[in-house]
Amino acid sequence: MVELEYKIGLEIHTQLTEAGTKLFCGCDSNYRKYKPNTNVCPVCLGLPGALPVPRKRPIILALAVAETFNCKIPESMVFTRKHYFYPDLLKNYQITQYEKGGGMPVCLGGMLKYYDPDLDLWKKVKLRRMNIEEDPGKTEYSEGNILASEFAYVDYNRSGVPLLEVVTEPEIPTPRDARKAVEYLLLTMEYIGAMNPRLEGSFRVDANISVEGGERIEVKNIGSTLDLERALRYEIFRQRKIIEGKGIVERETRHWDPVRGITKSLRSKESEEEYLYFPDPDIPMISTEPLLKEIREKSIITPEKIMEKISRIGINRKMAWSLVTIKACAETFLEAVSIGADPIISSRILAIDYKGHLRKSGMSLYKRENWPDPVALKKISDLIRNKAYTYDEIKYNIIPKLVSDPKMIHITLPEKASPEKLITEVMNEERKAIRDFYQGKKEALDYLVGKVLKKAYGKAMDPKKVRNLLEEFLYKNSNIY
Amino acid sequence: MKLTASSIRDEIIKGNIDIEDYILKKLELIRKNDKKINAFISIDSEEFLRERARNIKMEINSGKKPMLAGIAISIKDVISTSFLPTTAGSKILEGYVPPFNATVVEKILKEGGIIIGKTNLDEFAMGSTTEFSAYGPTRNPWDLERVAGGSSGGSAASLSYGAADLSLGSDTGGSARLPASYTCTFGLKPTYGLVSRYGLIPYANSLEQISPMARSVEDLALLLKVIKGYDEKDATSIPRVKENNYERFKVCVIEDLVRDSDRPIKSSLYNLLHKLELEGIETEYREKLDYINYALPVYYTIAFAEASSNLARYDGKLYGRMGNGETYKKASIDTRRSNLGLEVRKRILMGVLTLSEGFKNEYYIAATKGRRLIRDEILKVTKDCILVSPVSPILPPRIGEKIGDPLKLYAMDVYTVIANLAGIPALALPSSFYNGLPIGIQFMGKPFSEGSLIRLGLIIEKITGISGVIASG
Repeated sequence: MVELEYKIGLEIHTQLTEAGTKLFCGCDSNYRKYKPNTNVCPVCLGLPGALPVPRKRPIILALAVAETFNCKIPESMVFTRKHYFYPDLLKNYQITQYEKGGGMPVCLGGMLKYYDPDLDLWKKVKLRRMNIEEDPGKTEYSEGNILASEFAYVDYNRSGVPLLEVVTEPEIPTPRDARKAVEYLLLTMEYIGAMNPRLEGSFRVDANISVEGGERIEVKNIGSTLDLERALRYEIFRQRKIIEGKGIVERETRHWDPVRGITKSLRSKESEEEYLYFPDPDIPMISTEPLLKEIREKSIITPEKIMEKISRIGINRKMAWSLVTIKACAETFLEAVSIGADPIISSRILAIDYKGHLRKSGMSLYKRENWPDPVALKKISDLIRNKAYTYDEIKYNIIPKLVSDPKMIHITLPEKASPEKLITEVMNEERKAIRDFYQGKKEALDYLVGKVLKKAYGKAMDPKKVRNLLEEFLYKNSNIY
Repeated sequence: MKLTASSIRDEIIKGNIDIEDYILKKLELIRKNDKKINAFISIDSEEFLRERARNIKMEINSGKKPMLAGIAISIKDVISTSFLPTTAGSKILEGYVPPFNATVVEKILKEGGIIIGKTNLDEFAMGSTTEFSAYGPTRNPWDLERVAGGSSGGSAASLSYGAADLSLGSDTGGSARLPASYTCTFGLKPTYGLVSRYGLIPYANSLEQISPMARSVEDLALLLKVIKGYDEKDATSIPRVKENNYERFKVCVIEDLVRDSDRPIKSSLYNLLHKLELEGIETEYREKLDYINYALPVYYTIAFAEASSNLARYDGKLYGRMGNGETYKKASIDTRRSNLGLEVRKRILMGVLTLSEGFKNEYYIAATKGRRLIRDEILKVTKDCILVSPVSPILPPRIGEKIGDPLKLYAMDVYTVIANLAGIPALALPSSFYNGLPIGIQFMGKPFSEGSLIRLGLIIEKITGISGVIASG
C-alpha cells in the first residue's frame, strides 16, 4: 500500500535570551533568575501612559539572523499591534510584526540551509518570513494544570522579552528534517550570540502538518527538538490512519503532551481569528539600512562558515561537524590550531575523548571554561606529533587531569616506565592467571594488563602497547609455563 | 498687576509674594468654589502643599531661580502623577495611583512648580465638553449653565477662576484649545513630538500632545519651555529639534474654515484680522483647500481605531477596578461594562469596527491615506503662511445641549483636528466676548514654528487687551 504524502511547515518562536534587555524596555532579557514579578517596569507591565521604546540590541540580533538566512530585508520595519484578551498579556495586545495593513516584518522570505550529518548533505527549506515580537507573561496553576487548580498565578517577568518568530514554507520532507532544521537554526542563533537554546523555555515550535486527503493541523507547544520529531511522527501516523479509514481530518489546533507522547485537540479552527492588526502608533518605523551596515562591519559567524574553515584545515566532515555542534569546542579547536597545534590530533582529543570525559564527569559541554587552554592543547599535540608519547598514553594519563583542571597549561608528564621490565615482574608473580590464560580464559589477559598498569602507577604507559607486548610474551613462552 | 504666572513668579523670586500664603489662598479658593465648578478630580492635602512650598522657598533662599518657582499648576487627570491618583476621568481607574510620574510632571517639579491638583476631563479625553467625565461635568466659570469645553475642561476652568495659574492639558483633536476658547484662556498644542507623551494615558497616540494652558501668551511660552524636549522614554519625541520660525508674518484665512461658524465668531475673527492688517501684518484670503473637508471623518476614524486598542488593557487584572465573573473572560467583560462610560464604549466599538477584516480597507486604511493627503496639503499651505480660524464654530453650549447628538458634538472639533492630523503647532487665544461669553481664535503654523506663534500671540494680546483675565464669579 502506498503511504499518503504529507507536508510540514514550522513556526519557531525563539527567545533572544542574550539580547540583554527586553524588546521595549531596559528589564533583563534573561528573566529566569528573578523572583516572580520583580523583573518588571511600567513599560513591560503595560501601565497606562508608559511607552515602548525599541531597544537596539534585540533588533540588531534579529537582523543578523535574517541576514544569515539570506532574507529579503525591507528598507524599514514596522511594529504592529495584535489584539487578543488574555491574563498573561497585560495590554491585551502583543506588539509584533505583520506584513499586511501597513506593517512590515524584519524578513520577507529567505532560505534556511541546514546540515544533515548522517547524509553529509546541506539541505534547504524556504522561509516565509521572520518577525520580532514581545513574549507575554507566564501563567502557572497551583496544582500544575488548569482543571485541578483553584488558583492561577501570573508572572510577568517574561513579559516583553524579545522573540524572533521564524516561519518556514510547508515543504519540510520528514519529521527528522524538521528536527535537524530547527537544531541548525538554534545553533546558528547561538553562534550569532542571539540566544542560548539550552535555557528552559527559550524556544517553542508550532508545527503544521497536512496529510494528503485531510485538512491542515497545527500542533502547538513543542518545547524540544526531540519532541518536535516525535510529535510530527505521531501526527502523521494519526492522520494517515483516519484518512485511510475513510475518516475526515478537519482543520484544528492540537496540543503536544510530551509526557504521554500524544497530541490532544485544543480547538477547531473554523475561521480566521480577528486580531485587529494595525501599526503601533507609539513606535516610528525603523530603517534597517544603518543597522545592517553596522552588522556587516563585523562578519557574522555561522556554523556553516566554521564547518568550512575546519574542513579546509583537513579535518573530515563528520569530525568537523562534531566540533561545530558545540560552539565552545569549535572555538577551542580553532584557537589551538591557530597557535600551531596539530589539527588532526587536536580534533580527535576535543571531539572524542575530551568531550566524552566531560560528559562522564557531568560537566557542561557548552561552557568555554570547561574546555582546555589552547596552549595546553598545542603542547599535548606536539608531544604526540614528535612521538614522545603515543596518543593513548596521553589519552589515559593527561586528559582526565585536564578535564578536572581545564585551565592547566603546564603539562607535567609522568616518567616513561619500561613495560618489558614490569611485564617480567608480573609474569613471575601471577602464575595462576597465566595458567588461566593458557586454559582459554581470555579475560585473564585483561587482568594481567591491569596488573602491569598498576605497577606503572604514576608513570606514562600505553595500555594497548602493554597488551600487545603481553600477548607476544605469552605466545613466545607458552612452552615455559 | 496682571494675574499671569510670569508676573507672580517674578514677585515670588523678589520675595514680594510668600509662596505658602499664595498656595494656601489657592487652596481656599478651590475649597470655596470648586463644588460648583468641578474643575478638579483630586486636590493635594494642605500639609503636602505647605511642605512643598517651604522646600521651594528654601531653594530660592539658597539663590536658585527655578523657572516655575512656587507657581500653582493644575494637571489634567490623564497625565500620570505618583503622588495623586490618575483616573483619566474614568471610574475604571478610580483610585489608581501610578508608580511613576509623567516626564512633563518631573520637569515641572524640577523647576519648582507646585502641582495643586488633578483636573476634570471627558473620560479618557473622549469628548469636547467635559460632560463625559465619570466625576460629573465641569462648569464654565463665565456662565455656570454652560460647559467649559473639553476634554481639558477642568484645566481651562481651573485657570479661568484662578484656582491655578498654569495648567497642563492634552490635545488630541482640540482638547486643549477648545476649552481655552470657551473660558477666555490660552492653549498651545505643540508640534507632534516636541513634548514627551511618557505618562500621558493615551486616547489616540498618533494625534495627541500634552499642551500648556495659561492666562497669557507669555505664560504659555514659559510652560512650554519647561516641558518641551526630547525624551528617551518616548520613541515619538523628536531629538535635536531646530526651531523653524517664519521670517515674516503672513496670516491666511481659508473661507472653508470660517464659513459655517456662528455670526459672532465670524465677526470676531474678521475684526481681529482687520486690526492685524492695521498693524502691518499681511493677510491672504483663500476660498478652499482640497482635502480639509475630509478632516473630521478621517480624524474620528483614526482616533477611534487607536482608542479601541489603547483601552483594551483596562480589564482590571492588574490595576483599577475589577468586575465579577468566574472566568477571566466574564470578569473582563463585567469590568469594562460596569466601569467604562457609554461614550467610551461607543468609541471602542466603532474603533474595533474600523480595524476589522472586511472593514479595515474602507475605514482605517482609507483614513490613514486621507490623513497623508490632508497633512501634505496643510504642510504646503503653512510653509509661508500662518493659518487662522475660529477654535470652535459655536459659542459655549449649555450643559446637556449637545451631549445627546453625537454628530453635532463631533462637529465642534471641525477646525481643531486639522492641526492634530498634520502634527503642526496651533495656538488658541481669546479674541473677544459676545454677551459675556468668550470667543477664541486659533493660529496654526508649520512644524516647530512655536516661536512665531508666540510672537504673533503677543501682538494679538496687545490688540485685544485680553490677558491675565479671571472670571468674576
